[in-house]
Amino acid sequence: MKKRSISPVQWTLLGLSLIVVLVLAAVLFRGEGGEKIKSAVETTPPEKSSESEPAREAKAIQIFFLSEDDALLHPEKREILAGPSAVEEAEQAVQELIRGSEKGYISPFPPETKLRQLFITKAGVAYVDLSREIMEKHPSGSSAELATVYSIVNTLAYNFKPIKKVFILVEGSEKETLGGHINLSQPFLPLYSLNAK
Amino acid sequence: MIGLNETTAKRLATLSILFFSLLSFAAAQPTIRASARDYDGYSRAIITFPSSLPFTLQKQDNLLAIRVNSTSRFRLKADPVQSRLIKSFSWVQGGDMYMIIIEARHERFRQDSFQIQAKRQLVIDFYELEALPAAEKPGEEAQRVPTEPEEKPEPPAGEAATPPVEGNPQAAKGIPTIVIDPGHGGLEVGAKGKFGNLEKDITLAISLKLKALVEKNLAFHVELTRDKDIDVSLENRAAIANNHRAVLFISIHANSSYRHNANGSETFFLSLNATDEEARRLAYLENNSADLEKPLAPENEDDIKMILWDMAQSAYLKQSQRLAEIIQDELNSLLGTKDRGIKQAPFKVLTGVACPAVLVESAFISNPQEERDLVREAFQENVAQAIYRGLVRYIKLLS
Repeated sequence: MKKRSISPVQWTLLGLSLIVVLVLAAVLFRGEGGEKIKSAVETTPPEKSSESEPAREAKAIQIFFLSEDDALLHPEKREILAGPSAVEEAEQAVQELIRGSEKGYISPFPPETKLRQLFITKAGVAYVDLSREIMEKHPSGSSAELATVYSIVNTLAYNFKPIKKVFILVEGSEKETLGGHINLSQPFLPLYSLNAK
Repeated sequence: MIGLNETTAKRLATLSILFFSLLSFAAAQPTIRASARDYDGYSRAIITFPSSLPFTLQKQDNLLAIRVNSTSRFRLKADPVQSRLIKSFSWVQGGDMYMIIIEARHERFRQDSFQIQAKRQLVIDFYELEALPAAEKPGEEAQRVPTEPEEKPEPPAGEAATPPVEGNPQAAKGIPTIVIDPGHGGLEVGAKGKFGNLEKDITLAISLKLKALVEKNLAFHVELTRDKDIDVSLENRAAIANNHRAVLFISIHANSSYRHNANGSETFFLSLNATDEEARRLAYLENNSADLEKPLAPENEDDIKMILWDMAQSAYLKQSQRLAEIIQDELNSLLGTKDRGIKQAPFKVLTGVACPAVLVESAFISNPQEERDLVREAFQENVAQAIYRGLVRYIKLLS
C-alpha cells in the first residue's frame, strides 16, 4: 500500500490557516462580551447627513452657561438645524456650549475641548464623549466641575425629549471625576435647581 | 486506508489542543477567584482580580461586600469554603457595578485588608471579636505569622486603603470616630491658586487643626484619611470611614472656578442620580423611618442592607443636610466670606460613606484675595473652629 504523504510545508500552511481562522473567531467571540457602551454605539450608528438631503429646518433651543455672580446657569437661545435625529441636534447643542456665550456668561469648558462622539441609547441615556482637554485644562474645583457637568446635562435634558440622563465620557472611556469631585461613573439626571430662575 | 505517520499525528494533536484552548479562551468571561482559609486567630479571604479594578469594602452585619465599579461582567470562581468564620462567597451585579459578598458566620468580626498589587489580590483577614483579649495592644497583630509564611505578603508601602482596625483602639473602647478627609493629596494636587498655592496643602492644614480641636474638647476619636501629602483614592476615603465605623465624615476642600471673582464658602451634601429603582428604595426608606435623626429600626435593616451597598450615603441624607446647614451657619458667622449656602451635588467621595457626611468648600483658591486668606494660619484656624462649632451643635442636637 502506498502511503499518501502530505509534505511538512503543506501541514504548516494548513496549521497556520487554521490558527488565523481561530484567532478571528476568538476576536469576534470576545466582541460579544464587550461593554454596554459598545453595544450602545452599535445600536445608534451616527447617521451621516449627505448633500442630497433637503435643507433642514431651524430649531430654537436654550443652552445654559455659568454666571459667577450667582453661581447659576443662565439660558441663551440658539438656532440649530433640526434633525434628522436628536443625536445631530444634541451634538450641535454641545458644540454651541463649547463655542461659548454671546452674553458674557462663562462657558464651563476649556475652549480646546472637542466633542468626540455623542449617542443616545434606547433607555434615554445620552453618552457625551469629550476630548482629554476637558480634564487636563479643567480648573478642578467643586464649583467648576458642577458647572461643566450640569451645563451639558441640563442643556441636553431640557431641549431633547429622548434624553433623560447624560453620561459623560472622556476620550471614549468612563472617568471617576473631572478633577476629584463630581462623580462621573454614573449617568446624571438634570439638576434644574442650578438654573437661574 | 490513509496512514498517518507519528509526526503528522503529533501535529494534529497540537492543533486540536490549540483549537480548544483558543475556543475556551474566547468564551471565558474574566474570572474573579475567591478562597478562604483559617489561620491561628483569624480567617483569611483572598480575592484575585483578573485585572486592576477599583473597589470598595463595606461591612453590614455579617456581610462584607466588595464592590467593583465596572460595567464588565465577571465570573466568580470560589473554592469550597471550610472556615470557622467565613461562610460563603456570592455575587450580585447591576448597572456599573459587580459585587462580591463574603458572608461570615456571624456579625461579630472585624476585618483587616490589604492589597498585593503585583498579584492583583485583595487579602481580607477576619478576626472574631470575642476571641480578641481586651488588653491586646495595637501592633501585636503585625507579629502574628500565618502557618504558611509565603501567604503572608507585605502590605505595599503607603497603601492607605482600609487601615487595620487595630490602629483604632478607641473604636474598640466604644469611643466614636469622626473621620476628617483632607481633600486631594500626593500627585493629585487639587486646584491651584494664582500665587501657586495648592488645594491639597490647605485642606491638610485645616484638617490637622480641626482634628486637634475635636480631640482636645470632645470625647471623639478623629481619624484622618491622610495625615501627610499622599494620594488616597476617593473610594478608599469612604472605605476608611466605614471601616472605622465613623459617626461623622467631613471632607475639607478649597473651591475653584473659571474666573477670579468667584468667592465665598459653601457646604455640600450628596445628591443622588437616582434611578427609578433607587428612587423607589429611597421612598421606602423615607416612608419607613419618619425620624431619620434616629438610628434605623432593626426591622428595616434588611431593606436598608440592600440599599447600603450601592448607595451607602442615601440612608443618611437628611442627617447630612442638617449637618451641612449647621456647619454653613458657623462658617458664615466666623469667616466673613460670602455665604454660598448649602448645596446638593453627586460628590464621588461622599457616595459610599455610611454615616452623615458633608464636604466643606472653605473658600476659593481661584480668587486671589481668598487664596491669600486660605494660606493664613488665622483663617485656617477659623475654618477649623467653625466646623468644630458645627460639630458640637450637631452632636448636641442628637443627644
